[in-house]
Amino acid sequence: MTWKRFVISVAFIVTAACAWADTISVVLPIDCKYDNRVQRYRKIWGALIPAQIVVQNAGNMGVVSVGIGWSYGSSSAYEKSVKKNRPWETHLLFGYIPKYESNRGKLTMTLKENYIPLSVYLTHGFSIEPLKASIYMNTVYGHEFWKSQPNRYPDKYYEYLSTKFRLNVALGQEMTWIVPLANRAHVKCLSVFYEFSTCDLYIRAKVLEHSIPLKDIVGMSLGVKVQLL
Amino acid sequence: MMCGCFDTHPYDVNVKGGKNINKKHMAEIERDFADKDTLHIAFISDTHLWHSDFRDEIRDINKRRNIDFVIHLGDMTDAGLTKEYEWACDILNGLYVPYLALIGNHDMLGTGKQVYSCMFGAMDFSFIAARVKFISLNTNSTEYDHVVNVPNFSFMEEEFTKDSERFDRTVVMMHAPPYSDQFNNNVVKAFRRYLDYFPGLMCCIHGHGHDNDETEPYNDGLKFYSAACAERRLYRIMTITPDDYDMEEIRY
Repeated sequence: MTWKRFVISVAFIVTAACAWADTISVVLPIDCKYDNRVQRYRKIWGALIPAQIVVQNAGNMGVVSVGIGWSYGSSSAYEKSVKKNRPWETHLLFGYIPKYESNRGKLTMTLKENYIPLSVYLTHGFSIEPLKASIYMNTVYGHEFWKSQPNRYPDKYYEYLSTKFRLNVALGQEMTWIVPLANRAHVKCLSVFYEFSTCDLYIRAKVLEHSIPLKDIVGMSLGVKVQLL
Repeated sequence: MMCGCFDTHPYDVNVKGGKNINKKHMAEIERDFADKDTLHIAFISDTHLWHSDFRDEIRDINKRRNIDFVIHLGDMTDAGLTKEYEWACDILNGLYVPYLALIGNHDMLGTGKQVYSCMFGAMDFSFIAARVKFISLNTNSTEYDHVVNVPNFSFMEEEFTKDSERFDRTVVMMHAPPYSDQFNNNVVKAFRRYLDYFPGLMCCIHGHGHDNDETEPYNDGLKFYSAACAERRLYRIMTITPDDYDMEEIRY
């Protein structure tokens, strides 16, 4: 009798366990707190997935710079309809300065913020962005550059000067080809751009000495931007 | 020349203009003025970004016709940028006579030293004209945190006797004078002792102070003349005669 009851009890527990196991895999509580948190967590970190790959030459960042980018900000309904990228962009670029007449080649890093307020659709998936305004901070790696004057100098000797960090500004234009949905494999749209840029020390030079020609302090830069997301 | 279509970096040391300028001009000076008995030398300094004044200075020197060569005593840039060097060099190229340039402390910032070495050459150099040896010394020791041989005593030692048959007198030139914030002041007195070994030492000439001064930092009769910055619109002309010299202050 006792033995029989034991077998029945075990059978019941196993059945119940199986049923419980089945339940958890099939019925998910939709508004569970934990699940919401996971979704939010994935969304936040998902926003950090690079949406762009950027290649750009010159611009006081090196002979060529390569990096990743993010686009964000509200797009107009029109922009959404043509699957256009968003007006704000942040680029993280790594550039290379060749040796030239110096001791060695150098690496630079740039954090660049772009504002592209307008997009004009042309035809056949092409659009033009008539204004692109950028501000970017470039840092160059090497022992000869300092963030601010080292201790060896008297106070305020090279005041406000940093040989390591350069603040740059740029104005340019972009042309974008929106890849048709039918052909879209990896790339959402492809842009080519140009910009004219200058840096803080060049602007300072121009302000102090008006005779410096503008062409000496403003440089051109060409680039390609691949929009993945 | 400096189209600058694609700018790589302000400190890229992409020198497009002249190279080894000092070496070329020293050869010209040594060739043309070896047998002269009188020299007229213009000393300019600290032109920084005062390009308009700098150009006027060059124009004033060109007008004089009797200047044999020009010495820039350093600080032709503000931050040692490659383009600042090219701008300064473009202005100096307006001279009708050969010029030489010393390195100033501002010219050493970032990759400035490398630009200087490429465009002008060695930081310590010497040449002989009219039987006078001109010694140029890099004295910007603070730029190296005083851990290198600046001023270079070995170079000075070599110069005491090198080509001694070709000169009887010496003029010493530097950017930063003894006791200044750039000089290695631990060796000011040793430096003074070394100067005594130069045959017929006439005087020292320097920049850095942004004013035309005539001082005796060691209070022993050895004169130190400074050339003012371009903004002050002052420079100096040194006239060397067979047995004396004269320092003239020029306002333009």
